[in-house]
Amino acid sequence: MSVNLHQRVRPQSTDVAVQLSGVVKNFGRGEHTVTALDGVDLTVAPGEFVCLLGASGCGKTTLLNLVADLDAPTAGTVTRNTSRPAVMFQDAALMPWLTAATNVELPLRLAGFSRAERRAKAAELLELVRLGGQDRKRPHELSGGMRQRVALARALAATHRLDGGEQQSLLLMDEPFAALDAITRDVMQGELVRIHDATKPSVLFVTHDVREAVRLGHRIVLLSSRPGRVVREWTKDENTDEGPLTDDITARLREVISTHAAH
Amino acid sequence: MPRTDSDTELAAVGAGLDALDTPAVEQAPPLWRRALRSVAPPVVALAAVVVVWQILWSTAWWPEFKLPAPQAVWDEFWTSASTGEVFGIVWTSVHRAILGFLAGVVIGTPLGLLVARVRVVRAAIGPLLTGLQSLPSVAWVPAAVLWFGINDAAVYFVVLLGSIPSIANGLVSGIDQVPPILPRVGKVMGAGRYASARYILLPAALPGYLAGLKQGWAFSWRSLMAAELIAVSPQLGLGLGAYLSHGQNFNDMPKVLAAIFLILLVGVGIDLLVFRPLERAVLRARGLTASL
Repeated sequence: MSVNLHQRVRPQSTDVAVQLSGVVKNFGRGEHTVTALDGVDLTVAPGEFVCLLGASGCGKTTLLNLVADLDAPTAGTVTRNTSRPAVMFQDAALMPWLTAATNVELPLRLAGFSRAERRAKAAELLELVRLGGQDRKRPHELSGGMRQRVALARALAATHRLDGGEQQSLLLMDEPFAALDAITRDVMQGELVRIHDATKPSVLFVTHDVREAVRLGHRIVLLSSRPGRVVREWTKDENTDEGPLTDDITARLREVISTHAAH
Repeated sequence: MPRTDSDTELAAVGAGLDALDTPAVEQAPPLWRRALRSVAPPVVALAAVVVVWQILWSTAWWPEFKLPAPQAVWDEFWTSASTGEVFGIVWTSVHRAILGFLAGVVIGTPLGLLVARVRVVRAAIGPLLTGLQSLPSVAWVPAAVLWFGINDAAVYFVVLLGSIPSIANGLVSGIDQVPPILPRVGKVMGAGRYASARYILLPAALPGYLAGLKQGWAFSWRSLMAAELIAVSPQLGLGLGAYLSHGQNFNDMPKVLAAIFLILLVGVGIDLLVFRPLERAVLRARGLTASL
């Protein structure tokens, strides 16, 4: 099943999970118009992990909102061949009155799954994020890293649909590890790679951190700021040496940021 | 296989971090100590008040009809308690207050939801609701008596005007204090207007709503006392307010003080038996136990 958003455009290929072509997004009107995104072309293949890298004001959150269908582009098209995207924020944003298990069950409940199915799926997902024995705990009884793992399990649950069993799932992650301490972040990155290998969703991951982007992404897309444009893309494979790649990307990122200095 | 090795290692490091970072759960002290800690201070305070009262009375500074002995008030209370009369009086008032409060909940809750979620409604009646909250509802008694006569309708009218603004405003402030990220999470998970209210907004607003209910009950109770005290009629039966009024008419100070004691007892009792445990359960589930 393909979902065309905003304009009736056929996807070019079924090998595409998300496609943005010539996407422009303006906020405001007349003289006060602010261009957040200016002609962004981006594709995400099924099961691909794409990292969006950029400084503040590069329109990362705007881009995620467009893909999540929370907002419409001013021009261009956004096409999605996936189930409803799940979003993960910097804040775990768990419901404080629900347990770990019922937090994971919440999107399943909203999607109309029966109680037994919800229980089984939530238990399975908590097991996947290594929180098997913690299902009865409330958010305030969990550490920051554990809360973020519950949020990841909930995001994975949110990709489940009653009707679409075979659909490609899509995760949109808005700097999910930015608020964690360095050690926890390192472990969480490892866990995310493992879980991505196990479940193969398409991922659009926004970050400020070059190392994080290089470690996680199959492809790294560098965006410029105000307005957001795609500056360059790097593709990684098994033979890529991560050290020089990190240096290269960092140099380009610095270059892009320097152009914004006040003259 | 190296893959599995690194996996096991990651799991071990993760498990170690979880163990280190999990917030410590405080061990609750034993039941008798908790009971002692919560019961002893008010009992001591009450005893101190009675002792001071007894001393003041024994100085005979005021005439007996102004300051009776604690024993005289206790005797008055005990006589009416042993004949069972007091239970009838208390029940007349309490069941009225409960009915009035429940009607207040039924009207105040949707009203609060409307004010919180519909901008025009908030602009139109939000300030009025806050104003009504600070208006002593006893001010409505004359109007209620003129409109409805001295009967139950007048009493319930006053009770409703006392409780509805508190209940509605409690829900409004509860909803206003919901972190905006929570409804946003609901939206990206595909929750519509109804599902978002049912599964996210209302549960998230529960602590504020409960505070509003608690205040609504207090206002119902004091409005009822004001109404019963002013609008005395055989038609209305003998409630606590009427009992108090009798005390005044017969210059019976022990009766007046016994009535005040009973009004306090009901107010404190309902708070301790109903609202305190509810509030404690709700806050504890969310880890907001600092003040309990």
